[in-house]
Amino acid sequence: MQREVREFVATCHLAKGALVTSLTLMDPQALENDARAAVADASSTDDVERIRVEYLGRKSQLKLALREVRDRETGMALNALRERLAAAIDGREGELARAEIDRRLTEERVDVTMPGSPVRRGHLHLITQIRREVEDIFLGLGYTVVDGREVETTRYNFDALNFPDGHPSRSPLQTLFLDDDTVLRTETSPAQIRTMEAQGPPVYIVSLGRVYRRDTPDATHTPTFHQVEGLVVDEGITLADLMGTLDYLLKALFGEARRTEFRTHHFPFTEPSIEAHVSCHMCDGSGCPVCRHSGWIEIGGAGMVDPKLFEFVGYDSDRYTGFAFGWGLERIAVLRHGIPDLRELWRNDPRLLSQF
Amino acid sequence: MRAPLSWLREYVTVDAPADEIARRLSISSLEVERVIYVGVADVDGNLGRFLVGRVIAVEPHPNADRLRVCHVDVGEGEARQIVCGAWNFEAGATVAVALPGARLPILDVPLDERELRGQHSRGMILAEDEIGLGDDHAGIMVLAEGPEPGTPLVDVLPIHDRVLDVTPTINRVDLLSMVGLAREVSALFDGDFHPPAADDPAIVDREDVDVTVEDFGGCPRYIGRVFRDVSIGPSPQWLRSRLFLAEMRSISNVVDVTNYAMHVWGSPLHAFDRTRLAGARVVVRRARPGEELRTLDGTLRRLTTDDLMITDGERSVALAAIMGGEESEVTAETNEVLLEAANFEPLGILRSSERLALRTAGSNRWEKGVDPYLAEPAAVLASRMIVDLAGARMTGHVDVQSGLPERPVVRLRTDRASRLIGLVVAPDEQRSLLERLEFEVSPEWDVTVPTWRARDVTREVDVIEEVARVVLDRVPHTMPLRRHVRGRLSKDQRLRRLVEDVLVGAGLSEAYTWSLAASDPDSRAIRLPDPMTSDQAILRTTLFPGLIEAARTGLDAGAVDIALFEIARVYLPSDEQLPDEHWRVAGVVAGGYEAVKGVLEVLYAALQLDLRVERGQHSLLHPGKSATTEAGWLGELHPTLLDGVWGAFELDLTTLFAPVPERVVYEDVLTFPAVLQDIAVTVDEDVEAGALVDAAREAAGPLLREARVFDVYRGEQVGHGRKSVAIHLAFQSPERTLTEEEATAFRDEIVALLVERFGAELRA
Ligand SMILES: [Zn+2]
Repeated sequence: MQREVREFVATCHLAKGALVTSLTLMDPQALENDARAAVADASSTDDVERIRVEYLGRKSQLKLALREVRDRETGMALNALRERLAAAIDGREGELARAEIDRRLTEERVDVTMPGSPVRRGHLHLITQIRREVEDIFLGLGYTVVDGREVETTRYNFDALNFPDGHPSRSPLQTLFLDDDTVLRTETSPAQIRTMEAQGPPVYIVSLGRVYRRDTPDATHTPTFHQVEGLVVDEGITLADLMGTLDYLLKALFGEARRTEFRTHHFPFTEPSIEAHVSCHMCDGSGCPVCRHSGWIEIGGAGMVDPKLFEFVGYDSDRYTGFAFGWGLERIAVLRHGIPDLRELWRNDPRLLSQF
Repeated sequence: MRAPLSWLREYVTVDAPADEIARRLSISSLEVERVIYVGVADVDGNLGRFLVGRVIAVEPHPNADRLRVCHVDVGEGEARQIVCGAWNFEAGATVAVALPGARLPILDVPLDERELRGQHSRGMILAEDEIGLGDDHAGIMVLAEGPEPGTPLVDVLPIHDRVLDVTPTINRVDLLSMVGLAREVSALFDGDFHPPAADDPAIVDREDVDVTVEDFGGCPRYIGRVFRDVSIGPSPQWLRSRLFLAEMRSISNVVDVTNYAMHVWGSPLHAFDRTRLAGARVVVRRARPGEELRTLDGTLRRLTTDDLMITDGERSVALAAIMGGEESEVTAETNEVLLEAANFEPLGILRSSERLALRTAGSNRWEKGVDPYLAEPAAVLASRMIVDLAGARMTGHVDVQSGLPERPVVRLRTDRASRLIGLVVAPDEQRSLLERLEFEVSPEWDVTVPTWRARDVTREVDVIEEVARVVLDRVPHTMPLRRHVRGRLSKDQRLRRLVEDVLVGAGLSEAYTWSLAASDPDSRAIRLPDPMTSDQAILRTTLFPGLIEAARTGLDAGAVDIALFEIARVYLPSDEQLPDEHWRVAGVVAGGYEAVKGVLEVLYAALQLDLRVERGQHSLLHPGKSATTEAGWLGELHPTLLDGVWGAFELDLTTLFAPVPERVVYEDVLTFPAVLQDIAVTVDEDVEAGALVDAAREAAGPLLREARVFDVYRGEQVGHGRKSVAIHLAFQSPERTLTEEEATAFRDEIVALLVERFGAELRA
């Protein structure tokens, strides 16, 4: 469209000059001289474009002359002239275009330190990030992820897990009851029992999610928190396999340079039971406030599945052995990311959410 | 519990230093919270500057009324002159002396020889707090006679010690005793174990001890012993020091003895002033309704019929296993003592101590189940000490019991132990370490469990644990064989991650809010009968209030452009025992209906779903700006809920994910170009854009690839109560290039249907 406008303007200009567009009157040499002079004078690509219309456009003298020409020789001469002019115009246009780009490249600048156009970015919650990291570690080892349920029967939350009568966890002082037989799960382990009930061995699962305890909130306790629990049941599973698996997990989470140590412990659902410790990632074992000057950090409990659990779900405890472990995800957040107060993970202050 | 190593080493011969003992114990036996360094430093011969001295003479200080000049024999031949400010001794006393140059924990610089008011002083007679053996500064330590002057003080008192601060797991109450710890150390280091073997004092002028146990369930054993001619007084310094290092307060010789014997054997004891027991009897029974007892700490306790009491037949004199009563307490005037070495059943004690919020060193042991056999050695040790330290005669003894439990016998397969551990532990080694722990092992591998482990070790796997824990730091790290595994997320788990990622990409941040809420829009929502706080009382049926609260937190923090989501469960009441748990995703975004609709369009598109909405109602939403989808709802937040204009949504994930296709199948949109046509029609204001688009699709059929409303115009030109809706149409065939004429024909059919159905007028 722009080009048509330009041609229109050029034609008017010609009309004003009262030139008669007739072959007989046109002097090719003069025309070429005029055109070349105009081209040489052009100072912008726009100028060149105007000149192109004037001398080579649909209503230019040359075009009209070409339309009227009858003899071959004149036609060839005029065509040659047209090509020469076109080449001159193209050449000049190229020069000017390069000059213009050069000028833009020298003149145009931005303050590269200015901020870019804003793009809103969301953030996954830190605990979700840790949850996925742990899930991915175990998916890589061939485990499946089990969701479980959060409201549980005491049968699955306590009985099946071999919690003896009088165990402190069974007390309403520690556990949130819906009624005598129903609780908010105090660990994700009921999912292990339900999985074993639903399928035979082998079992390789991790279960992650919310658990509930009657804890008064403070910097290191929230009444709801998150656990990861793992369960393996197969032929020939050993305590050494448990330690190897936890060693792998701890190094994945805290760095390949970490050392692990396992200490004897006691839980109702495992026998033998151990507790995993990892060398402090802050001081590498030499002692600092994070590890309370011991060089070691306690991560969580684990052990070989107690035969009573196999009895409950009908597995042959002579043929199959297994291991289980259960840790808090918040503890990883505290240790690895320095979260000073767990309650902040539930306040959702955007200044905190957007850090991770 | 605190375990001074000097004390421990009396029962076990082991060369290992404190830190090594602590390390092995913490791996194989119990938690060692820390190793506490106490007493005086063992550097540059410092210990050699602490000696036993005998005071030869004491004279008044010529220039100071409060000081005295002492001459003290420290085995050097000639007595040293030492100026002393204490008055609790006279010539002949055996004392502890620090020589000049000694470094004391309370001084920054070594002790000097110096002039005190003109009198030369060549050392210091020590009080217990000056070398970390107590907190008494009323006088200097007067030691028992015996050690010769010049004896190194460290041979007499634990002036240089390491104290282990240990916490056993709930099943190892046997480790709440010096004997139990020594046995453990002996097993781990293969050191000689020699528990205290006190000579039981002979009974003189025998008399009957009247003990009746009415409730053997609560009290399976009661040893009662009677002592006469008891002289209550302070304990000797060695006993005071041991108790101090074990974090117990010295009270009097007899009370200290009961605490000491408990610490040694792990079976708590109690001493009564026998003359305060009506008829000098003991009856063990449950409390009567409304009964009260003022315990040793001065508190009047209201009892229930579940509480087990020690009574004298008429009234309660002690809260059994937890705390004695004030009235029958041993005092300075006591001269007849009834010593109780009993055994109590754990559960009842736990319940009583929890209910009364009263935990003592005794209840802490009883509630874990103390071995009833231990009552006897504890009674013997305490009796010996009462006779020796309080000059008493033992005149009576009774042991009332309902029969002591059998020791469990378990068959061990040593190869199974090795297989479960994942480390070959030679049978000989298994036998030897079990025997060091005082399990008896027959040639056929029948393992008889010692009485103090009888509650905990009853099965083969429990015995295997004993082996495993001792060899724990030798167990290699291996990986399970994993012959049959399938490590992948389920479809729903994958899609949940996708939803998280899409929403984060759309600028929403993930919030975590509590499952328990103060209130819930559903009146049937499950309410906890005994919530922790009223804020966390109801299991939520919607994620929504939590997110509003989170958005408010953001506003208060001064944030702008807040956009939050959460993926979590809701708990819908059901007819079953357990509620229906459903995964939901919900969001709150600044900016009203269009903002939230945009977010959901992106989300649905990412899931390969069409977002179809219908006008709907929701109590939390603006009634004119709310809609439902198959999976939930969306709309503008009701303006009374939060300042500003907000969009909100909540979707059930199972419903949302059900139609998500397993895979996307290729459709040829490249070979033949689409023909684009736009139309604008005027319709009545209440005609919904979605209805126009649906009609367009109905009229044109599958070749209408896209129909999208891109402009709505209201104004004079279209008339009052009308609006102009501009729709972008794209026609495309996967098989051929459509002509303009075909597209125009489709367009005309669309317009015709819009005219017919909605009274539309074509504008362009
Ligand atoms: Zn550290």
